[in-house]
Amino acid sequence: MAKRPSKSKSVKILSRWEALRPRFLAFMLDWISWGYVAYGTMYLLNYYWYTNIHYYGRLTVPEWGWPIVILGTLELTVASHAFGHSLGQSMFGLRLLTESYTLPSLRQRWQRFLGWHLSLIAFPVTIWNSTQQNRMLHDRLSGTQMYVVKEIKDVMPLIPPRAWYKTNRGVMTVILIGVTVWVGWLTTKINLGILIDRAEESGYLWKALLTPDFTHFIVPDPELHTSILSGIIESIFMAFLATLLGGIIAFPLSFLGARNIMGFSPLGWLVYGFMRGVFNVIRSIESLLWGIIFAIWVRFGPFAGVLALTIHTIAALGKLYSEQVEGVDPGPLEAIAATGARRWQVILYGVVPQIIPSYLAFTLYRWDINVRMATVIALVGGGGIGRILFYYKGQVGRLPNAWNQVGAVVFTIAVVVWALDYISGRVREKIV
Amino acid sequence: MAEQLVVEHLTKVYERGDILALDDVSFSVEKGEFLVVIGLSGSGKSTLLRCINRLVEPTEGKIYFDGVDVTAASGAELRRLRRKMGMIYQQFNLVKRSSVLTNVLAGRLGYVNPWRSLLHRFPPEDIEMALKNLERVGIRDQAYKRADELSGGQQQRVGIARALMQEPELLMADEPVSALDPATSHSVMKYLEQMNREDGVTVIASLHFLSLARRYGTRILALKDGKIVFEGLPDEIDEAKFKEIYGEEAEQVEVR
Repeated sequence: MAKRPSKSKSVKILSRWEALRPRFLAFMLDWISWGYVAYGTMYLLNYYWYTNIHYYGRLTVPEWGWPIVILGTLELTVASHAFGHSLGQSMFGLRLLTESYTLPSLRQRWQRFLGWHLSLIAFPVTIWNSTQQNRMLHDRLSGTQMYVVKEIKDVMPLIPPRAWYKTNRGVMTVILIGVTVWVGWLTTKINLGILIDRAEESGYLWKALLTPDFTHFIVPDPELHTSILSGIIESIFMAFLATLLGGIIAFPLSFLGARNIMGFSPLGWLVYGFMRGVFNVIRSIESLLWGIIFAIWVRFGPFAGVLALTIHTIAALGKLYSEQVEGVDPGPLEAIAATGARRWQVILYGVVPQIIPSYLAFTLYRWDINVRMATVIALVGGGGIGRILFYYKGQVGRLPNAWNQVGAVVFTIAVVVWALDYISGRVREKIV
Repeated sequence: MAEQLVVEHLTKVYERGDILALDDVSFSVEKGEFLVVIGLSGSGKSTLLRCINRLVEPTEGKIYFDGVDVTAASGAELRRLRRKMGMIYQQFNLVKRSSVLTNVLAGRLGYVNPWRSLLHRFPPEDIEMALKNLERVGIRDQAYKRADELSGGQQQRVGIARALMQEPELLMADEPVSALDPATSHSVMKYLEQMNREDGVTVIASLHFLSLARRYGTRILALKDGKIVFEGLPDEIDEAKFKEIYGEEAEQVEVR
């Protein structure tokens, strides 16, 4: 017989797993957050204090220091939990309330914090048994209870909200962002002084770039054997072919990567997972890196560039397309399946008409990206106008007007990219 | 008269959310009946209809259609069974970006040569049939418009035309008029009644309003929390029965 769950809508009784899982995850998240703060503190101490006094070397944590760091962050985590509404608690849907579903007083919070140590020493095993029905010592001492939000859905609206800066979560978020910005600023060696100091010395560069030299716009450069115009045409064709090929290949693959199409059998799930995995892996490798591979495989030149752009396009469009397939209105699919149609007929008559407009829009959007990418793919030997750009840049010091030539190339790229962007934007407006 | 549809001990549990949608439901439908299923939202009406053509997989129980076990059918056999059961929906479930004609022709997918359907090339007689069915529901002149250009009532009539293309023996209507205003509701219900009386198609319709159920149904089935709480003729539902089905606080609403 099938199980007969109760239909009652009163307070939900959670299983041990449902009650403990969010508490464990929340605890870990808070611990990791405090660990991150400890790392940041260490870094800043090193930077501002230790290196200034000792001039070299790094402040390292001595062996006996590690337990202190671990215990210290653990204490902080327990404290944030006892005071309620910590980052982890709100992330995993927990609320610390009294037995009568009100916010606990400061006294109760302290009791919970101190009582926690007591219950850890006395009854560590009771953690496993702790649910709403079977409360732990520190909960009983302080008269509080950690509720999972879904078990107290009915009382949640009665709990007054607090201003974000008064909650544990809000303060912690500010601390985390603060540490990140501070440490990040130092690691990336941000230096506003040099940006202003050397502004004048780079002035000649701006002057040259803003007086572009279009001598070789149409007339080929005798040393390079090509002109800027044919370079940009090459780039546009590269982008066009890569988008077209990528789109055509991604179209059938996108159905294999859509949950609502594949999620009906274990084999389907396998194909879905594999497809999504492939899309994600290929997408996370930039076109420029694919360019390196293909420049060696098929030698330098535009063909390598087209291949690099195509493979990245397949993965990027494949993912976007799949998400569109997953987002279709399931109603018509149901209706067509109910007429006795085959699965592929359901896809052809139900899914395809729904996704065509967004497919076209995404493909055009990708074409924009590919045009921009095709202008620099030459950096790794992929051909296109980038070859001319980097050639002239390499002539700085040899040719007096090298920067002016670079300016001409940059100007051409800017105009073409802008124009194609504008056109595809207008077309996309029409479609969607 | 022969029993066309037999449902035995049908139970459906939705694993996600642990919801018991249908609880041991048994009933049978004779050929030519107009059975109306009533009940509150969430009482299991939609699930019941969707179990019959297996859009929803039953957890337990058997369903026989013309003596064939629907619950055991799969692949080509299930498609043949589905072909004989037309269905229309609360939200019409049309492909909004396709033309009205294409939507109607989709009802024919269970019949046509699959290779022709790959190229969207339907036989001329099917196209003729589609236009005739559109004529029948009074929207022949809308055939080449996009489905979402039509009003709600017109869209539901496209849904009916699509179901007609299946030449169904059973028509299931899942709250067909809930999204429509009262006047349009009656015109849509009348088409269902017409199919039932003239073509002898068995109809199972779930409805919200008891007044509509009384007006069109030859028999009524009431569901509450997935269980059958009433089965009988429309006139047999008195005030007490009504309260039992819809709860103590309910008031009858008349839809004219």
